[in-house]
Amino acid sequence: MKITAIALTTFREAVRDRILYTILAFAFLLIGASVILATLSIGQEAKIVKDLGLASSSLFGTFIAIFLGIGLVSKEIERRTLYAIVAKPIYRFQFLLGKYIGLVLTLLVTVGVMALLVFALAWTVDGRWTPGLLLASALDFLALMIVTAVAILFSTFSTPTLSAMFTLAVFVIGRLSGDLRSFAEQFAGPGLRQALEGMYLILPDLSRFQIGPHIVYGLPIASTEVLMAAAYGLAYILVLLLVAIGIFERRDFK
Amino acid sequence: MSRPLLHPSRIPWLALALAGGLLFGVVVPLQRQAPALRGAGLEDRVLLLPPPAALRVASLGFHGAAADAVWLLAIQYIGGHLASDRKFPELKRLVETVVALDPHFVDAYTLGALFLNYGTGDVAGGIALLERGARANPMRWEPPHDLARTYYLDLKDYRQALHWFEVTDRLPGRPHYVPRFVARLYAMTGERETALELWRAMRDSATSDWVREIAEREIAKLEGQPAPAR
Repeated sequence: MKITAIALTTFREAVRDRILYTILAFAFLLIGASVILATLSIGQEAKIVKDLGLASSSLFGTFIAIFLGIGLVSKEIERRTLYAIVAKPIYRFQFLLGKYIGLVLTLLVTVGVMALLVFALAWTVDGRWTPGLLLASALDFLALMIVTAVAILFSTFSTPTLSAMFTLAVFVIGRLSGDLRSFAEQFAGPGLRQALEGMYLILPDLSRFQIGPHIVYGLPIASTEVLMAAAYGLAYILVLLLVAIGIFERRDFK
Repeated sequence: MSRPLLHPSRIPWLALALAGGLLFGVVVPLQRQAPALRGAGLEDRVLLLPPPAALRVASLGFHGAAADAVWLLAIQYIGGHLASDRKFPELKRLVETVVALDPHFVDAYTLGALFLNYGTGDVAGGIALLERGARANPMRWEPPHDLARTYYLDLKDYRQALHWFEVTDRLPGRPHYVPRFVARLYAMTGERETALELWRAMRDSATSDWVREIAEREIAKLEGQPAPAR
């Protein structure tokens, strides 16, 4: 109940944030521009609208997760509202989970709107529905939930600027972890290869949630692959939230 | 008593007026000159395009969108050179970058090979590109079909053409005429009819005027030739 109340308050607060609308406006602009670009592509209209639409939704969703996520805890400390909250009969973990769920709810609405826009534009250009686009957006949403958890983890012990930088770094590494591993296999010596393999296993692998290319070309996707990616994503989010709770519980707010 | 020019209530209006003046007095005239300069800009963008491995990293996993961007650059490059010298020295690199980023981009293999073949005369380059496309997309009929067409029409290598038409014949969605061509190749007959049918199919399915122009030119050439005596 307490978690729900905090989540809804966080959601209401987030939807009043101007940065959300600024990012959304740019996302709509880029998704809309994909239709114009597609007309120049010689028979590749549908591919370009789907590729750019999914990429825009993912990228701008990440910006929303980072820029709203990093301020979730630090803003409460800055405004001193946190002191009033922790003085109440509420566990700190409830506060943190409420904040996380509130931001995930905001992301669900914004990414959902972007996904529906891409879905409708792809239908307009292609002349047929591509339901797989919604599955691709749903999996990408899991990746965004991981990025949000990373942002909230850093915001429990760091400043908003540093949290943004760290989260952005984790996002970049996460998107490239598959490539990094294959580079290591090809070029690195045994020591570096082991270190990179270790990093690959521990850092979030966001490339697991990318099924866009399969959807765009109508290639088959194994349901086990999707389910394993979903299980990996949910488990990773739990790990991040537990670490964040551990740090937040021990933090001294005097 | 009149208010000074820089009175706080006037500043927003002055700023807006100044912005409007700059937009229409400076930005728009400068932008009008851009199309004249664009040719050189495009060449620079093509020459400075990073290698595919670097682009894969820089695109942060959004490989499809990055391939689309390079593809749009390739289209501008082809269009620019078709309108000027009809030479395409950087085309191969551009198309190879596109398919390195997105190996399933079948049209990049087929259109790229067509322009390499008929634009630069690099038939071997076109064949290598199509073979790469066939390997990366074993369930798509377009790359083996275009390989068969190239061997048949350009290299007159009927053994290779037969092999690739047979590969095409086994794939879903292949054109209706493929089994007929396989039969004719086994019987070693109907060379001119096959060639005309291939070019007409290309003309009818063309998504760009450039491809249609190539097909119509070849059809006119074949129709100008007398039919071989039977």
